[in-house]
Amino acid sequence: MKRPFARSEDVDQTLVAPARETPAEADLAFERLYRSSRDDVYAYVAGVLRDRSAAEEVTAAAFERAFRKRGRFDARRGSARAWLFGIARNAALDELRRRRRQAELDSEPADVAAPATDALAEGGARRATLIAALAGLEPRERELVAMKFFAGLSNAEIAAVLGVSESNAGTKLHRVITKLREACR
Amino acid sequence: MSREEMTIEELTTELHALRELPSEEFAAALDSRAAAGFPGRRRGSAPITSLPGGDAAGRVAARFRGLSPRRKLLPALVGATTVIVAATAIVLATNGDKGANGGGGQQSTIGVSSDAAKAAPSQAGGAGTAGGSPREVAPQAATGTQSIGPLAPEPPVPGPDTAPGIRNRQIERSANLTLGTDPDQVQAVAGKVIDVLGRYRGIVLSSSVREGGEGEAGATFEVLIPSGRLGAALTDLSAIADVRSRSEDTLDITAPFVSSRERLRDARAEAEGLLRQLAAASTDGERASVKAQLRIVRGRIAAFRSQVNRLERRANFAHVSLEVVTGNTATIPGAGGGDWTIGDALHDAGRVLAVAAGVALVALAMALPLALLGGGAWASRRIYLRRAREQTLSA
Repeated sequence: MKRPFARSEDVDQTLVAPARETPAEADLAFERLYRSSRDDVYAYVAGVLRDRSAAEEVTAAAFERAFRKRGRFDARRGSARAWLFGIARNAALDELRRRRRQAELDSEPADVAAPATDALAEGGARRATLIAALAGLEPRERELVAMKFFAGLSNAEIAAVLGVSESNAGTKLHRVITKLREACR
Repeated sequence: MSREEMTIEELTTELHALRELPSEEFAAALDSRAAAGFPGRRRGSAPITSLPGGDAAGRVAARFRGLSPRRKLLPALVGATTVIVAATAIVLATNGDKGANGGGGQQSTIGVSSDAAKAAPSQAGGAGTAGGSPREVAPQAATGTQSIGPLAPEPPVPGPDTAPGIRNRQIERSANLTLGTDPDQVQAVAGKVIDVLGRYRGIVLSSSVREGGEGEAGATFEVLIPSGRLGAALTDLSAIADVRSRSEDTLDITAPFVSSRERLRDARAEAEGLLRQLAAASTDGERASVKAQLRIVRGRIAAFRSQVNRLERRANFAHVSLEVVTGNTATIPGAGGGDWTIGDALHDAGRVLAVAAGVALVALAMALPLALLGGGAWASRRIYLRRAREQTLSA
């Protein structure tokens, strides 16, 4: 199931890059992927890390990794979007690991400022409840929410990223949604 | 806070509303880096928003990182090919020193055997029969054999094919060489043989040249060549005509040589003792007795000296039996002189391929364990990383 590249907008300035004389097909495909996924990747990473600064770093790192590895992408193994989010997920989890190690060394809790601080200020009570419910989710569940609702991945893409079946991914999502609805009651 | 449960739609809407968007500054910086092909940037360096383009070194590094895996492997493949080609060239050059001749063909060493295990004393005893010595054949030279160069040529120089570690050993060398040519070329070939022997200060013990038709015409030579020059001389002799067969033998005669030299030294010491006795003798009977013993000892000294000289000659000169034949006897592929033919080329090509295959096999044998180790380490690291990442989410 293919998802239209419609969520990310306002990235036309990417095209100001000096065009190569004979751009490889992989480069063109990567450019399209970047244009369509930049904001989604950021939203997903920010949802996982809950830190704007770290999310920027990790998003950039993920795209750099993907750019370096673009020649290895095999369309038979899944969509380019799923491949990119796999890379972004690894980068985000590596960042989480690094922070955890750092936190253990520092013996202080990591700075995990809620990404929705602004939203909390401007949103209503329902949104505040939802944010609290999100914070109460397990990291794995929060990641599912980030993939589905922040990055806009389809169930099939989530399944590909997580390495599970599509039905399994759907079931997990359903449980998370149910948990959130109960928490927001 | 509402106590009513949110609908799916409401929840979805609220969650979408919580979606973070990148700041304009970050988005612009990232777009710029994407446009530049993500030039190199180290982790922990300045934030992405302050790095629009990267430096030159970073661009080079990024360009390399941006290469496809196949293109990244290209330098390694070129390096490996260079190593294999160089190794092949070295091996061929090493072989070529031994085998190449002037005509471009290769000198084959066929049936070369190191026969040092043979009983040396028996060989020493029969020194005069196998190779003979120049002194023994001197009368023959006066009657029927030709001698080229001085009878006492300069001491043999250790040749390139003298095996290391045997410098102080006495090695007797011999060779058999059969050359093939046309009947009308026998005289010319024989003349060239003589020329070559002259160049290498060889000694012709005997020679005969037969006229006639194919199969009848031919020539035979029994020659001595300074051992240190045997390899070069055989190379030149092989270049005269087609090599039909060639063999070389070596025999270690160190033991009989040392033994004879020690006996000679003992005999000389005994003679000196007898001379002292003679000087001290006071009666005619005593003197006569000592003189008789002295004669016997001197005879033994002469015999031992002769034996030592014979063995030295055997070590210093290699006996070569050379035959020139006519007729359709098969030529050894790749051997002999004459022009470089298609057959020679095919033979050389086969050798090159064989050596290259051997070198590649050795390289593969060396690389395989390393590749397995590297692959195992890489797989282990991947598994570890995957588990570690998943554990991060389990906390």
